[in-house]
Amino acid sequence: MKLITRYNRVNFFTTIIVMLITGVIYYQAISWILAYQKDKDLRDEEQEIFDNVNLNHHLPQTFETRDQHISFSPAPPGSVKRVFLDTTFLKKWDKDDLQKRRHHRGNGRYEPARALISSVTIDHQYFKILIVESTVESEDLIQLILIITLAVVLLLLLILFVTNRLILNKLWKPFYDIMKELRLFHIADNREIPQLDTKIDEFKELNLTVTDMAGRAKHDYKDLKTFTENASHELLTPIAVINSKLDSLIQTENFSERQSKLLNDLYGAVSRLNRLNQSLLLLVKIENRLMQEQQQINLRELVEEIIAQFDEIFQDKELKVKCTLSEKEIYASPYLAEVLLSNLISNAIRHNHKGGEIIITLTQDKLVIQNTGDGIALNDQKIFTRFHKSSQSEGSGLGLTISRQICENFGFSLDYQFQSPFHVFTVNFK
Amino acid sequence: MKILIIEDEEGLRESIEEYFTGDGNVCETASTYQTALSKINLYRYDCILLDITLPDGNGMNILKSLKEHNHPDGVLVISAKNSLDDRLDGLNLGADDYLVKPFHLSELKARVSAIIRRKTFNGSNLLLFNEITIDLLAKEVKVGKSPVKFTRKEYALLLYFLANKGKVVSKNAIAEHLWGDGIDMANNFDFIYSHIKNIRKKLMEAGSGDYIQAAYGMGYKFSEQ
Repeated sequence: MKLITRYNRVNFFTTIIVMLITGVIYYQAISWILAYQKDKDLRDEEQEIFDNVNLNHHLPQTFETRDQHISFSPAPPGSVKRVFLDTTFLKKWDKDDLQKRRHHRGNGRYEPARALISSVTIDHQYFKILIVESTVESEDLIQLILIITLAVVLLLLLILFVTNRLILNKLWKPFYDIMKELRLFHIADNREIPQLDTKIDEFKELNLTVTDMAGRAKHDYKDLKTFTENASHELLTPIAVINSKLDSLIQTENFSERQSKLLNDLYGAVSRLNRLNQSLLLLVKIENRLMQEQQQINLRELVEEIIAQFDEIFQDKELKVKCTLSEKEIYASPYLAEVLLSNLISNAIRHNHKGGEIIITLTQDKLVIQNTGDGIALNDQKIFTRFHKSSQSEGSGLGLTISRQICENFGFSLDYQFQSPFHVFTVNFK
Repeated sequence: MKILIIEDEEGLRESIEEYFTGDGNVCETASTYQTALSKINLYRYDCILLDITLPDGNGMNILKSLKEHNHPDGVLVISAKNSLDDRLDGLNLGADDYLVKPFHLSELKARVSAIIRRKTFNGSNLLLFNEITIDLLAKEVKVGKSPVKFTRKEYALLLYFLANKGKVVSKNAIAEHLWGDGIDMANNFDFIYSHIKNIRKKLMEAGSGDYIQAAYGMGYKFSEQ
């Protein structure tokens, strides 16, 4: 839920509730005032009757008006108690109002009314007085007031909604800007999160924190990378020493079979260590984008060259290699392009079985390398991560990581699929 | 041949010196920038192995000094930095070759031999070993008078052996020399064996002696019996 939706919802409900409560109070107050007014009218009328009786010593003549009705009736003395009450009032239709007479049965309609029952004594004769006054006009008034109030409430809500939307959007803009920057943030690139132009303290602080955090993350990442690079560099010399000492050692001759086996294992381990170290260095360089020298490369020629390089190994493993290569040129670092192709093809060899098959297809859009191997799909999430490798693999565990990095560097994508019995690696040039 | 080894790492310096000494070669060493600089100003060498990361100075300056004085010494730059920039810098400054640590001594020897060959036999492109003659320009091998056809890799391997004659060359070194670093997918080097077998067969069929011996399953040695 968006903040603005949430905010609007809360705002909407509280406004409605408050408005309803005030509406009720308002209604009650007005009703009370109007009822009070009506009662006062009734009392005035009563007083008038009393005055009239005192003056004339007979009952006053009564006129039926549209909204007032006064009647007198004899009653046993002392039987009437003075009381105000709500009642109804039969409002007769006007004589000329034929329309209404035809549509409605009866000769009028009932309207709410207020009545006062009182009594008067004239010449020892006791009369009950009934004064009824229609309250329809006050009701109308209340209704009108209610409608106006409701309209105002609705208008107010609408205005609130619109202004909130505008103001909130404007107010929160720095927030969304920061979000956008964060989404663009990449730990490896040189882009800094810019300072936002905002006067709101909270956003200023947020911006500051985010910039600070990004800076620290980048710094730490750089430290880590430098460390990897330095460590790999420092390892080169001892590896070189071991290598040269081994080369010197085998010159001393007269080895037993056991010794030469040990020496062979040592050679193998050292060259693995060396490859691993070189891969790490290469990875750091690619990530730092230190290999930027670019030129036009004919991919078909490069693939053919690498295949020729691996010729003996194809023969040794009895691999069938099928190539369908069309002319394709890319503009990229030749060194990295060679590493990429060499990695992918040597993977296809390494994870193949004797007598297996490798199919290389180069089109304008993509380079597809398919190889047989053990017929189990690889986890395409994991294979591109560092040091992920099958248990029997002799590789460094960095080949695919490097390949993917190179592809990213070139603006290509590298994907894996399993299409039985082939493992398929696809470089999309896009 | 007179060779100067400028390398600050003692272990490496000793190994190189040991490997290169003998077979008519004389080695001198320098472990610091200053000694190296004074040596190249006093003496001439057929080839200088130059480590560019020295504790008290940049090896590149030694190279610059050599070129400023127009000294003809061959220079092979050894570096732990496998960056193209460094490589290009070195070659632009006039180095003859560039080798990245770590390397096999046999590879180093082959490179140094190539440099010396280019420097010393000005014009002559023939490499001789007993009855074997190799024309380096035409890339042709003859035993006595009869030419022998070699594939590209076999030819490269033969040259490698000749540069390292009398030394045991490990299979790893051969594999890396012929296939580069991409060779890591094969833990048995059977295909090297078939190359060697072919070279021996071709040479002996043309009437040469059997000069290549397997050395304890670790490598091969090219030498007179």
